[in-house]
Amino acid sequence: MTALASDKTDYDVLNTVALKKMATPQVVAEACGLPRTEVEAALDRLAAQGLLVVAGGAALPTDEAEPALAAAAARRYGAVRADAEVGGLVERFETVNSQFLTTMSSWQQVDVGGRKVANDHSDAEYDDKVIARLDKLIARLGPLLEALAGHDARFGTYPARFRSALERIDRGEHEYVSSPTLDSVHNVWFEFHEDLLRTLGRERTE
Amino acid sequence: MADVLAEGYNVFDTAKSPSGTVKYLESPADVIGLIQSGRLAEHILLVQGGTTTFLAPALSMGAIGVITMSGAPESHLGILSREFQTPCVMTAHLTSSESRYVVGNTDPSHFEEIAKALDGRKVRLDCTDHEVGRVVADD
Repeated sequence: MTALASDKTDYDVLNTVALKKMATPQVVAEACGLPRTEVEAALDRLAAQGLLVVAGGAALPTDEAEPALAAAAARRYGAVRADAEVGGLVERFETVNSQFLTTMSSWQQVDVGGRKVANDHSDAEYDDKVIARLDKLIARLGPLLEALAGHDARFGTYPARFRSALERIDRGEHEYVSSPTLDSVHNVWFEFHEDLLRTLGRERTE
Repeated sequence: MADVLAEGYNVFDTAKSPSGTVKYLESPADVIGLIQSGRLAEHILLVQGGTTTFLAPALSMGAIGVITMSGAPESHLGILSREFQTPCVMTAHLTSSESRYVVGNTDPSHFEEIAKALDGRKVRLDCTDHEVGRVVADD
């Protein structure tokens, strides 16, 4: 466990696998900004410790991964947890997160006479409004991401990923709103939320 | 009419009505084991929470149906199930029991009762109603 707390590469690699739930070495390398060979060596080390398994070419976290990451995060992120500015921004994030989930659902489903039906995306004006709302919600994460990046550069990767997804959406690639198999706005948001909770040692609420 | 074992929120209306043996998944290891068994498509997956994020690989690998014992359709898992078009009944309760999930105030016995009643049962999900998702006996 100590190695995970002191070795940034191992922490970042296992953290990424845990956030993505299932990831190939290439995906981990891109997300961590590390050479693939370094990631593969880290995956081997982590597998030897029983923290992940490789199945079908992808790494998946074992039951031991979350507790190990939680213990390592407690040692690594004492300063973040004590940062009053981060604390204040996180309180506001909870509200933004609820609005985000509602907005994402309104992208998938529309209200027709009190009944939720699948959004067939034929109403461009409606879709544009939802996208504009997502854009605003992402912008509201800015100060928190910046404050966190001051503690760990990893949090500096999220704005770039959001920007990339939004640019694709602007170009008409609307699957970058919510597709679970792309680096979509929903996926990036979800990973950030999990990363944030782990960093701060908090639990997800229902 | 077939025996309705449990009811909950229907995450999205669908004519898909998957049938399979309920498999209760408690941990990431259970999900990994199921994926590795190659028998994912034989099971309706039962998990405790809508925030049970370890279920994501099962959805991407072709899970046919999901039942949760807590959580809302607006949650991450709800969003994922709509994306994958995997029928999903959330915050299911047993029709034979008075016990209900209450946010932040649910005794573990509530979840144990549901898991005990459903795990291993052959069921079918009925997700045609716009509000209520049903777990119907199929054995």
